[in-house]
Amino acid sequence: MKVLAHKQEICTGCRECELACSQAFFKTDDRLKSAIRINNNFNTFHATMCTQCGECIDMCTAHAIYRDKNGVVRIDKKKCVGCLGCVGFCSELSMFYSDDQLVPFKCIACSICVKACPENALEILVSKA
Amino acid sequence: MGKILKQIRYTPAKIERGYSNKSLYINVGDLRIEEKEVTEFMKEKFVGGKGFDLWYLWNAVTPETRWDSPENEIVMSVGPLGGITQYSGTGKTLVCAISPLTGIPIDSNAGGYFGPLLKFAGWDALELQGKAEKDLIIFIDGNEGLISIEEGEEYPEDTHLLAEELTARFAGSEEDKVHVSVVSSGSAARHVLMGMLNFSFYDPRRKTVRVKQAARGGLGTILRDKHIKALVVKFKGIKPNLNNPADIAAINRIGVKYHKEMHDLDEKQNGMRKIGTANTILVMNKYDLLPTRNFQTGGDPDAVKISPEVFINQYLTQGLHDGCWYGCTMSCAKAADHFKLLTGPYAGQCVTVDGPEYECAAGLGSNLGIFDPQAILEQNFYCDTYGIDLISYATTVAFIMECYEREQIRPEHTGGLDLRFGNATASLELLHQMSRGEGFGVLAGLGIRRLKQVFVERFGADPKLLEDIGMENKGLEYSEYLHKESLAQQGGFALTNKGPQHDEAWLIFMDMVNNQIPTFEDKAYALYYYPMFRTWFGLCGLCKLPWNDIVPADNYKTDTPAKVPEHVQNYVDIFNAVTGKKIDQDELIRQSERVYNFQRVFNIRMGSGLRKHDKAPYRSLGPVTAEEYLSRQERYDKQLRELQGLDPAVMSLDEKIAATRAYREKQFELLTDAVYKRRGWTEDGVPTPEHLKEIGMDLPMLLEVVEKHL
Amino acid sequence: MISVNTHEQPWREGLNVQALLDEMGFIFRHIIVRVNGEYVPEEAYAARLIADGDDVQVMHLIAGG
Repeated sequence: MKVLAHKQEICTGCRECELACSQAFFKTDDRLKSAIRINNNFNTFHATMCTQCGECIDMCTAHAIYRDKNGVVRIDKKKCVGCLGCVGFCSELSMFYSDDQLVPFKCIACSICVKACPENALEILVSKA
Repeated sequence: MGKILKQIRYTPAKIERGYSNKSLYINVGDLRIEEKEVTEFMKEKFVGGKGFDLWYLWNAVTPETRWDSPENEIVMSVGPLGGITQYSGTGKTLVCAISPLTGIPIDSNAGGYFGPLLKFAGWDALELQGKAEKDLIIFIDGNEGLISIEEGEEYPEDTHLLAEELTARFAGSEEDKVHVSVVSSGSAARHVLMGMLNFSFYDPRRKTVRVKQAARGGLGTILRDKHIKALVVKFKGIKPNLNNPADIAAINRIGVKYHKEMHDLDEKQNGMRKIGTANTILVMNKYDLLPTRNFQTGGDPDAVKISPEVFINQYLTQGLHDGCWYGCTMSCAKAADHFKLLTGPYAGQCVTVDGPEYECAAGLGSNLGIFDPQAILEQNFYCDTYGIDLISYATTVAFIMECYEREQIRPEHTGGLDLRFGNATASLELLHQMSRGEGFGVLAGLGIRRLKQVFVERFGADPKLLEDIGMENKGLEYSEYLHKESLAQQGGFALTNKGPQHDEAWLIFMDMVNNQIPTFEDKAYALYYYPMFRTWFGLCGLCKLPWNDIVPADNYKTDTPAKVPEHVQNYVDIFNAVTGKKIDQDELIRQSERVYNFQRVFNIRMGSGLRKHDKAPYRSLGPVTAEEYLSRQERYDKQLRELQGLDPAVMSLDEKIAATRAYREKQFELLTDAVYKRRGWTEDGVPTPEHLKEIGMDLPMLLEVVEKHL
Repeated sequence: MISVNTHEQPWREGLNVQALLDEMGFIFRHIIVRVNGEYVPEEAYAARLIADGDDVQVMHLIAGG
């Protein structure tokens, strides 16, 4: 399984990762279209992104969420009906939506933000499970 | 594939703010297919859904129209909010027709995908008129813009086979099955008056067709009388913006907030995601509300054998999405998978049973004295596939069983069926007889109103007893709540438009347990507000369960927690976000009031809808028999003392029963007076011209009807 | 005596909300309890004592069906 991990102690909160993500997937510098969100909590930086737990797979009302061969939880955009049930049901609050998009979006552990991070505070963990 | 009898092409209308602004008319007698404009007048006065259905139905029929007249229509419509995906319970199709059981308009609603797919295929409503000579299949392809009518003789009749076969055929591939929905009935619908409609959706996880029912009032009987075997709609490409709403951001925001509430609170509240509506079986039993042995008592120690836990642990598959339309995170459409049938033509086969819902467990369980989950599910399955409304069936059989035990009817009348309470084998055989169109089953399929007459005239039964214990009003059988101790709910059942179904009002806790509405005026207000509020779901294409089967965490802080104010506001906001209108909570009630009064006047036009038609059987109001009185003697004796100042110690049992009855019947009359007054009706239950004017429904067609009754 | 949903009920020393609910057979989970108008959260049912003369409201929330 592939999952994005964040090292809180290194992160400086520059939020380059957010821009890289929104640029990669939506061709825009809009943090609200990033699948990783950095929150500043008294100068420690917490990252919200998908843990690939897969809780959303069974609850999806359109049977549109699945785990791919790398263990990454993916949304089939053709099947997704944009009900946003998964957004409300995500325990990590890391399923996102935007009003100008018809389907929600999430981290797919693609590593674009990892490369964009100047501090090397992000990494992709790969496990067998 | 049957011979194609008629085929036309059309350009699917684009949806604007919830409406396609077109409706489809099909006459199965002469195969006419026409397109009609949905007018601003219709939207203004009737909103959609049940409102549109009743409008079209009024224009199609005359006061002489009977259920099997060719001009009787089955009309269905999903309403302007139907088909949005972001909020729970937004896929309901409303269906109306002149009912075989009541002779007046019935309205019934179902989940499943048909209504939303029909709208996205370009049709706000569908009218089916005329009668075919041979069985037909009607197919609407919303992507291709194609309507086709073909011969359907070769297809099986029972829904679990028919819907599966039609779904596979019209989908063409496994992947496309979710884009197809079928409306069908079943083999019993040709033989009984309580035939219902199944609305399908494909469950890609179970890889099977699931069904939800527009069950009440004999709609399936009409479908089969018209020789329509099935309606099929196909539409591919569901997205959250298909209604072309005025403000999708608002819908998204409210939807996410609601989904989060469901995620955080359902398990602590009603557990709808685990068990669905059957969560209340033991609660109803504990509060003396679970109808047992034809509504004689409100519970039984054996109810524990049909508890929610039994169904959850032994039958229902957990953890799968069970919504009957996209986006419903309440997910209450539960199913028992790999269920092995023990009787009937499909004995030995393993099937998926849709259910049990509360009504099923109470009706086919406790009310028949059957406390066996296997038997409940097996009856549930056969009611569904044969196309039988299980509420009318259950309440009718409960009546028959009591008649049998009280020796009002005997084995020579039932064809030897030993129809005692608790005899599940006999009930199942009755269902199979309904399917085959033979034996006592066909007689039972007439429903309670007609059976009372048959039992009296042909079998010599006691007419007074049968009037008291036959749980019907307006010809429709009561749904499954014991309500003798809630005067408000007695009105909630009897003072309804279509007949005693709890979808207008469920006031038992507010009234009997909370004691929140003690005066006649309080009860009358509740019997004004709730029926109007709940009518609105049917105008818009919504399910009512998401309104109050979960509530926000801070609902207790509000002034009116029973109304769930935040959710009411959600509905107002979503309505405005879809349609671009600016209604508020008062206008929401007013929208319903227009249609509610229209339906009442429609009833009057059809020769019903007056005070005498709102009478309740005494079993609904109080204890009919000595056993009933004695089973709750302490309660009734106390009421004699406290409410009437009588001394039960010096009264005989007959005197006590008589005094209780006189008091309760009087209470019901006083309630009726108060409710009519609050609703703007005369003492005879007729909407006054002044009231019609006030709500903007002083239409000449309505005034002409009411003026004859003033 | 105390009042429960406006009906009189006997009172005894040490009566708490949970015990009252049990005695009344109020097993429905979806309720709002107020004692003399003050909201009692579910966690406090066992600890919240009811005094003689108190006015208890147990509002069952389903408006259901």
